[in-house]
Amino acid sequence: MSSLQGAAPVTDGQPPQVPAKAGEDAPRASSPAGRPRRRATDWRKRLEIGILSGPAIIVFVAFVIFPVFLAAYYGFFRWKGFGAPTDFVGLGNYKVIFADSAFHDVLVHNAIIVVLSLVIQGPIAVAVALLLNQKIRGRSLIRVLIFVPYVIAEVIVATGWSLMLQTNGAVNDLLQAVGLGAFRADWLADPKIAIWSLMVIISWKYIGFAVILFLAGLQGIPEELSEAAAIDGASYWQIQRRITLPLLGPTIRIWAFLSIIGSLQLFDLVYIIWGQYVASTAGTSTMATYMVANGRTSGNYGYGNAVAVVMFLISLVIALIYQRFVLRRDMAGAVTQGAK
Amino acid sequence: MKRKIRGAGILALGAATALLATGCTAGGGDNSGSNDGKVTMTFWHNSTTGPGKAFWEKTAADFEAAHQGVTIKIQSIQNEDLDGKLQTAMNSGDAPDIFLQRGGGKMAAMVDAGQVMDITDSISDETKSAINEGALKGESIDGKIYAMPIDVLPEGIYYSQDLFKKAGIDTPPATMDELNAAVSKLKTTDVAPIAVGAKDAWPAAHWYYNFALRECSEDTLQKAASTLKFDNPCWIKAGEDLKAFNATNPFNKGFLTTSAQQGAGSSAGLLANHKAAMELMGAWDPGVIASLTPDQKPLPDLGWFAFPSINGGEGAEGAMMGGIDGYSCSAKAPKKECTEFLNYITTKDVQEAYYEAFHAIPVNTAAQGVITEPYLKSVLEAYNKAPFVSQYLDTLYGQNVGNALNTGVVNMLAGKGSPQDIIKAVDEAAAKG
Amino acid sequence: MSATTIDRAPRLARPNRRQEWGSPLTYFIALLFIAVCLAPVLYIVLGGFRSNSQITTSPAGLPSPWLFDNYLNVLASSTFWVELGNSAIAAIATTIGVVVLGLMVSFVLARYHFRGRGAMYSLFAAGLMFPMTVAITPLYILVKDLGLTNSLAGVILPQIGFGLPVTVIILVPFLKAIPDEIEEAAAIDGASRLGFFIRMVVPLSLPGVVTTGILAFVASWNSYLLPLFILNDPSTFTLPLGVQAFASQYSVDTAKVLAFTSLAMIPALLFFTLFERRIVGGLTGAVKG
Repeated sequence: MSSLQGAAPVTDGQPPQVPAKAGEDAPRASSPAGRPRRRATDWRKRLEIGILSGPAIIVFVAFVIFPVFLAAYYGFFRWKGFGAPTDFVGLGNYKVIFADSAFHDVLVHNAIIVVLSLVIQGPIAVAVALLLNQKIRGRSLIRVLIFVPYVIAEVIVATGWSLMLQTNGAVNDLLQAVGLGAFRADWLADPKIAIWSLMVIISWKYIGFAVILFLAGLQGIPEELSEAAAIDGASYWQIQRRITLPLLGPTIRIWAFLSIIGSLQLFDLVYIIWGQYVASTAGTSTMATYMVANGRTSGNYGYGNAVAVVMFLISLVIALIYQRFVLRRDMAGAVTQGAK
Repeated sequence: MKRKIRGAGILALGAATALLATGCTAGGGDNSGSNDGKVTMTFWHNSTTGPGKAFWEKTAADFEAAHQGVTIKIQSIQNEDLDGKLQTAMNSGDAPDIFLQRGGGKMAAMVDAGQVMDITDSISDETKSAINEGALKGESIDGKIYAMPIDVLPEGIYYSQDLFKKAGIDTPPATMDELNAAVSKLKTTDVAPIAVGAKDAWPAAHWYYNFALRECSEDTLQKAASTLKFDNPCWIKAGEDLKAFNATNPFNKGFLTTSAQQGAGSSAGLLANHKAAMELMGAWDPGVIASLTPDQKPLPDLGWFAFPSINGGEGAEGAMMGGIDGYSCSAKAPKKECTEFLNYITTKDVQEAYYEAFHAIPVNTAAQGVITEPYLKSVLEAYNKAPFVSQYLDTLYGQNVGNALNTGVVNMLAGKGSPQDIIKAVDEAAAKG
Repeated sequence: MSATTIDRAPRLARPNRRQEWGSPLTYFIALLFIAVCLAPVLYIVLGGFRSNSQITTSPAGLPSPWLFDNYLNVLASSTFWVELGNSAIAAIATTIGVVVLGLMVSFVLARYHFRGRGAMYSLFAAGLMFPMTVAITPLYILVKDLGLTNSLAGVILPQIGFGLPVTVIILVPFLKAIPDEIEEAAAIDGASRLGFFIRMVVPLSLPGVVTTGILAFVASWNSYLLPLFILNDPSTFTLPLGVQAFASQYSVDTAKVLAFTSLAMIPALLFFTLFERRIVGGLTGAVKG
């Protein structure tokens, strides 16, 4: 998951070099059969393509795609994980998944995490980025320090935070010490509070990344625009609203995409803080923890793999929808390659 | 420009070299088997701390010394991770040769998959005479023995005698009513009456098992292992008992995220540091508590009493929950050396050392004479008197149902479910696997 | 391309080119933000300087007295350094693999036209949807069949695979943005496509390469689940595994665990500090196209 949250945005679009080439793009998604045999250089070209893309494709297919299909295959069985699967149940596992109230809970939790991540991190990160987007002394240092939580391993983050949030841990102790003892709570165990604690930890870890991303985006906006507007008499806030934010739009949309995907696949933090059993009781279980609890931990490997496939499909559908409707005007679609 | 080409070239070369090098380092997967009479066996156990870990290291070393050409590679795995890692390893045919066996339905699943060696014929006579037949029976399926028992772990309530005295409790409770009274008295002092590590689910579930033990007959409990059906109303009654008990708020605050054995904040740790007065646990607990006390020595005022009796219920009086720790050989392990090791660990000397390390009851009856702690003596006494000792229900019913049962109990304790929901969760789990 | 070539004047329209001090408000908010970001980190670091009883009695307090034993013990133990080495090897190899393979295939996707290009691109992009948790069981079997369990290669190769989607998605637009005129000029000069790749594309894409390299490095350094299942032999453990193993072995000793944990953080932080300029510069480049 951390590798996802760590991706930088793709181009925000319309540098003058690209468009004229659009017409030359090869038709998409067709099989590589039927290569034009007109020139000998095409053979050379195919060879180059093969050599350059070969290793990557081999590694990727072997270690990412192949396990995906294997998981899908296992999902059609009831299987304890030993030997080869023999008990074929077709779509049986999927029927159980969608009927399980625990799975419904999990969908709700994931939805909450997705939405709250966007809502909490987005505005704050934009505001902070706007604020820090000045060539002031110490800018480098500030940027480094903000990015620190992102760089730290999730294991470490989870360990540290769960110690701090224990009933007799640092946070409650601090509240008591400053006289806010009435606010002490069961940060991790109380089902009404736990999801908010989770959101705080997630936001803490990933907001620095959002800020850096937005800073990068802001630096791509030519100064001349805001200077011209200032000359025309626009106030600071008008400039931000009318010029900066819209131009920052593509970056924000890419960040949102990555945030959504990452939120859907959240696992490490929840698993390490709440353990494999009580996440659902505390109201913080996610699709991934559900999969591990009902799959690997219970020895139901067929079922677990079916849940994995469901996760994959949900993420894929959301990604495709997002690409098509939100990112479409920004770039030549990453997943669908559907640019015209 | 030339600089860049060389740079790219070096990059590629470096990548290839690094990949090759790392492929060669650290060896491939561990292989057990004999090469020229040399045998290497992998050994997985769940003691990650102090004396337990040291005990296994010494025992393996002693065995290696007595058996030329045999090497044992030990891996200590955190208890909560063990089942998962074992599953994965077995699933890919990479099972360790010797490993901790929980027994019950978990063992049955492994036997069904042909992953465990049948050691019925390999148990030495010496071992057979020293070990209680019931313990061996506990590790058998259909008359075939699949694991060597190494200790018996009957369950009951461990308590701090000092804290009891401070709260004005003179004798340990024998009935539920007395337990409730004790809980109220303890609440007036500054400690949690009962510590429970619900984060790991099973500690909380053990309360349910014991209520079920009191409410349900031996027959009902055993039958459910094969049918995986929980229709008998005694199951719901047990849930209601637990719900009522929980309503008196006997557990430590934040028990939902308290682990059982890890760190000073765990339930064992709370007991070790006199922050809680009682804990329902099996006979491994004194050892765990000992490692969590401030001076890392056994808790001097530790006491034990059996799970209280209830009014009514079909369970036999004095029945106990009890696990057996055993060690199994994987089906692919070298038979001679592996079974020799299993026999070795049940010899009197090793068993006495086991007791020293774990403060648990060794299975070798001759070694049991070495027990000094009064509380362990009480445990042994109750165990010998018990009309019926059941395996822990999550072990008995297998990992799938067991996990659902445990999680269902936690949900109920957290106020998110009813006793009926526990049964529902168990039924749903049966459908998933 | 890089933003550092543009000098930004401060908001108050002073034409100075020197780095100015910002307004106090800016610094105040920045400080607040930084405090929030760093407080938990400080908690972990300071925790290592305390003893367990200090932590139990006063969870939120400062060390008093300051104990150095925990840190010294960790630094003196070979476990820590072995795990550090393993993490380093895995991370460096993963990074090189991801960057080299990713660059090559991104070049193909960006600058060659052929049928199936869209399919190839979607193939990599679809990989984003599939996290490691989901694939772990079949992946473990595959790695085992290749005989790579208990070796770092068994961790490196899958990590390279999982790192490719992000790399491809970042680098393709980067490479697409290289003007065709340059390519044509190179062709006129007699360079082959391959030569163009090595001589011109690699240097030009350096910011994007650096970004993806750093992301791959951090991801590998922090990865936990894959090593958990592939690496059984403690001598092959990486740092995150080491943190967990240490935490359970010394679960008694919260202070010691915190010391180990904070030392485990340092290499990643150091790495980031060294490359911070590159990261943001790379991100800028990626964003601008």
